[in-house]
Amino acid sequence: MKQHDNEETVEVDALLKAARDPVPDVPDGLTARVLADAAALQPAQMGVMREKPGLWVRWTDLLGGWQGMGGLVAATCAGVWIGLNPPAALPDAGVLLLGYETADFTTTTAELTSFGWDLNGE
Amino acid sequence: MPSDALTTLPDDALLVLYANGDRHAAQALTARLLPRVFRQARHMLGDASEAEDVAQDAMVRLWRIAPDWRQGEAQVTTWLYRVTANLCTDRLRKRRGVGLDEIAEPEDPAPSAAQRLQDRARGDALQQALDQLPERQRQAVVLRHIEGLPNPEIADVMEISPRAVESLTARGKRALAALLAGRRAELGYDDETA
Repeated sequence: MKQHDNEETVEVDALLKAARDPVPDVPDGLTARVLADAAALQPAQMGVMREKPGLWVRWTDLLGGWQGMGGLVAATCAGVWIGLNPPAALPDAGVLLLGYETADFTTTTAELTSFGWDLNGE
Repeated sequence: MPSDALTTLPDDALLVLYANGDRHAAQALTARLLPRVFRQARHMLGDASEAEDVAQDAMVRLWRIAPDWRQGEAQVTTWLYRVTANLCTDRLRKRRGVGLDEIAEPEDPAPSAAQRLQDRARGDALQQALDQLPERQRQAVVLRHIEGLPNPEIADVMEISPRAVESLTARGKRALAALLAGRRAELGYDDETA
């Protein structure tokens, strides 16, 4: 009986080994489907994948990219230029808003002369 | 990366390469892993057509997890065997209630030499015996004796202790021996041992 049991175990081992040894034939269609899935689900192609952009890039993107930044710089330069060298046709903002000339404002304002500073040298 | 160089890389490195867009990595992983997945599914389900579906599904899950894979934390093969086992379990559960007559018969062997016919008959007999084992025993026997996994890895796949794996495989083999006992002559073992 014991001998018989051993024989059966050996046969099971042989059957399992035979099932293990051969490289299974994967159907060609299955391999093709798996590779097609892999291509469809692949996150990005090598070299095309972008790194996470830095803070500066994200900030400039927020302002419209290089086009937006260019416009912003041009507008800033124009504003500075007009401030330093206003065209004669432009009204004086001091007259419009405060009611007196900018020059008077800087020479007669108490805050600017009260500590012994006299901007006119008088 | 050249496809030849990929064959020496471990599975997890290939998976990271795939996630980074290397097309050859998918081919290398498929060539390496698909035969094992297909074999495991075929022995678990006893049906080549269903095994194809399961193998494809398991590989899809591998491609999907690739971007989130953490190198060194788990073996790709262990993860894939577990996914395949779970997919097979789902199929077997759905299949319950289906009569034996409705389960596909093993494919007819192609006419060939006598030895090939006998090998085929033995393979079919093994598969029929495997089909009759309880699901967990079958899983343990397939992973241990057909896929050749060590017990600790099977324990990881099945999420049980290595001792439980030993118990399942031992009981599975005894059950297989009992199921095949009446077919010794048919399978040609009486001639060989005489």
